[in-house]
Amino acid sequence: MKALVPLLFLPLIAWAEPATVIRPTDLKAEPASDAATVKQLAENTPVDALERKGGWTRVKAGSAEGWVKMLVLRYSGAGDTKRGDTGLTQAINVARTGSSGTQVTTGVRGLDEAQLAKAQPNPAELAKLDRYAADRDGATRFAEQGKLSATTVPYP
Amino acid sequence: MMRALLFMLSLAVALRAYAQFKLPDINVNRLLDTARNLSKAAREPDEKEEIAIGNDVAARLLGAAPLMADARTQEYVNRVGRWLALQSERPDLPWRFGVLDAPQVNAFAVPGGTIFITRGLLAKMTSEAELAGVLAHEIVHVVKKHHLKAMQKGALASLSADAAGAALSNVNSEARNKLISFGTEMYSRGLDKGDELEADRLGVVIAARGGYDPYGLAAVLQTLQAMNAADSALALMFKTHPAPGERLDALGRMQAMLDAYSAQPQLRERFVAETQAPR
Repeated sequence: MKALVPLLFLPLIAWAEPATVIRPTDLKAEPASDAATVKQLAENTPVDALERKGGWTRVKAGSAEGWVKMLVLRYSGAGDTKRGDTGLTQAINVARTGSSGTQVTTGVRGLDEAQLAKAQPNPAELAKLDRYAADRDGATRFAEQGKLSATTVPYP
Repeated sequence: MMRALLFMLSLAVALRAYAQFKLPDINVNRLLDTARNLSKAAREPDEKEEIAIGNDVAARLLGAAPLMADARTQEYVNRVGRWLALQSERPDLPWRFGVLDAPQVNAFAVPGGTIFITRGLLAKMTSEAELAGVLAHEIVHVVKKHHLKAMQKGALASLSADAAGAALSNVNSEARNKLISFGTEMYSRGLDKGDELEADRLGVVIAARGGYDPYGLAAVLQTLQAMNAADSALALMFKTHPAPGERLDALGRMQAMLDAYSAQPQLRERFVAETQAPR
């Protein structure tokens, strides 16, 4: 297990995730609106997402490769195949298992509904939480080290 | 609620005036007391009470899953979170951030400034901007008091007016225990969809204010969308949040703002270095 942990932190470079474009989209040669258009992609064109840069994702569409706006992509794993009905399925499962509140479908321990329902206070962990807290100065120095600068941005 | 209280108060006052002439045996003072109690229960907890409620709820959540035993990662997440909280409208709350040792993919905001993220969700992220996107979303829940208001609503529905008042003022009361249990179980039920979408909308602004590429949250949502929905590690998160596709559609309406700050840092290397420390 320990050896697997670094795999979870692989950068996006080696990543090729199947996705589709949700509307007709220009495939751009560079991640910029004024870059040359490589190809027009029709709505629902399947692509492989390779890398993200700002608001752009590099994709492979058939033999062509280029950049599309990140938010035109939808991925096919979770949200699309079972969009919105996960909660309903779970509610049915709970109903089937009766009033005990335990869920037969849950295979992992930790933070699931059953654990939340029976949780008892853990004051020792709460004290630890306090010890890890960052103060204003520490957080500000840390931001400077990362070259993060605070900007005024109004809420929409 | 407020309107009903005002009505009761004015009714009681009117009755007292009327009683002076016609109905001396109605116990107007008792009516007035009931109206006062209701108004006490309906008041919002002050900041001190909010922090105390948050402590009790946080202790319960930590009873479900303890902190991950990795001081470096914990301190790192606290620095990112505190920096973002400083860009919010409540910069001086006692903000604390904790990585829970749980394989599930989830994050929680607790009233008063405590934010939890699971190690399962952290493991799905690839940059500090993505972490910032999720923490900023949770910070908005605290700033806007989404959970506190939902708890207050639940307490008023299930406790008597006197008990709801006691739940705030007496931390050892049975009513308090009920309030905290209700508050903890709320993380199984979830907030209103509108609260979640608001946290996304304002959260990306807080990330941008902190100097991050604000597309971090959208990147995490796309990662979640690409995961298998049948994965039980996602069950609770998907039950309590709108579908990733719907949240991405809503963020799509903010594209101009997101693009304006998308050249800001993502800090991939720092994220990997700080969360992949030798364990």
